[in-house]
Amino acid sequence: MIRVAVVLGVSALLGSLFLFGLLRGRPDRDIPSNLLGRELPTFTMPLYERYQAGYGPEFAIDDHSSKPQVINFWASWCVPCYTEAPELEEAWRNHGDQVLFVGIQTQDPSRRAEGRAFLEQFDLSFPNGFDDDSAIAVSFGLFGVPETFFVRADGTLAHRHTGPVTAALLEEMIAELQP
Amino acid sequence: MVRLAAPAVVIALLIGLLAALAAAQEGVPLELETQVFEIGRKLRCPACTAESVADSNAQIAIRMRQEIQELLAEGRTETEIIAHFQNIYGDFVLLEPPKRGLLLWVWLLPLAVAALGVGLLVLYLRRWTRAASAPIEASEAELARVREALSDELPPGGTT
Repeated sequence: MIRVAVVLGVSALLGSLFLFGLLRGRPDRDIPSNLLGRELPTFTMPLYERYQAGYGPEFAIDDHSSKPQVINFWASWCVPCYTEAPELEEAWRNHGDQVLFVGIQTQDPSRRAEGRAFLEQFDLSFPNGFDDDSAIAVSFGLFGVPETFFVRADGTLAHRHTGPVTAALLEEMIAELQP
Repeated sequence: MVRLAAPAVVIALLIGLLAALAAAQEGVPLELETQVFEIGRKLRCPACTAESVADSNAQIAIRMRQEIQELLAEGRTETEIIAHFQNIYGDFVLLEPPKRGLLLWVWLLPLAVAALGVGLLVLYLRRWTRAASAPIEASEAELARVREALSDELPPGGTT
């Protein structure tokens, strides 16, 4: 009797674990950052030529710290980065007066031609540069691309999103970043 | 004379070239390089599935090894360097989960399961040996039935 109960109990446990695995859907894409609520490190990066007329050859985040920021990490080989690029550009065109958008090409060293093609394909008008040695990526605690960091005007991290951003998320986060 | 000198010059040039190549590869002292990989083996590569910073060739892992090297050169200890990455990435970056809080169960659960297994095994063995060595108790009626059954099976004249 006890043996039957044990076998039934173990089978029920394994069955429920199996069902949980099947039915829980897609895992949560938002990995909480350890830097949440903390001041993000400052960085300087070289910019692509098309932004140099407006921002100079080197972009220092310190020079633009009066505004909230949306910092997006991308790579030319990353398929979801192509999905989110038009959404980022549209949000930048709508909110560029309140929030600074910055694009950083990372985990994609020295692939300048591919980077330029990516920027031209979506006509990205916010400043984009490159992080060839992944130094900025590591200082931000990056896991992969795309990742987007929403930074308050005081330099503290409000939210980190892993995976492609949507127009709805951008609108929601930009509203939250407003003082 | 010139014929003899030419091969010697070529050999000397080759040795010089090899020495220059060896010197160029010795950019990082071996001891420091070993320490970098020792620390890297304790850190998870954030961009990989299950590889350490020492094993991975992902761009992020390469950068982390470079940072480890820089921090060692500054005189920082292994504990300080691991704490530096833990500060950025949290406990996720540790390949060995820390022995505290909820993660303590990761360490304690296998020990508890092993102890339970050994306990059950001992209990079962004791019961089994006790059952094997215990005298069989039977009533007179039962013994009589056994004797009767045996006498039926034995050929005439057989003994019990």
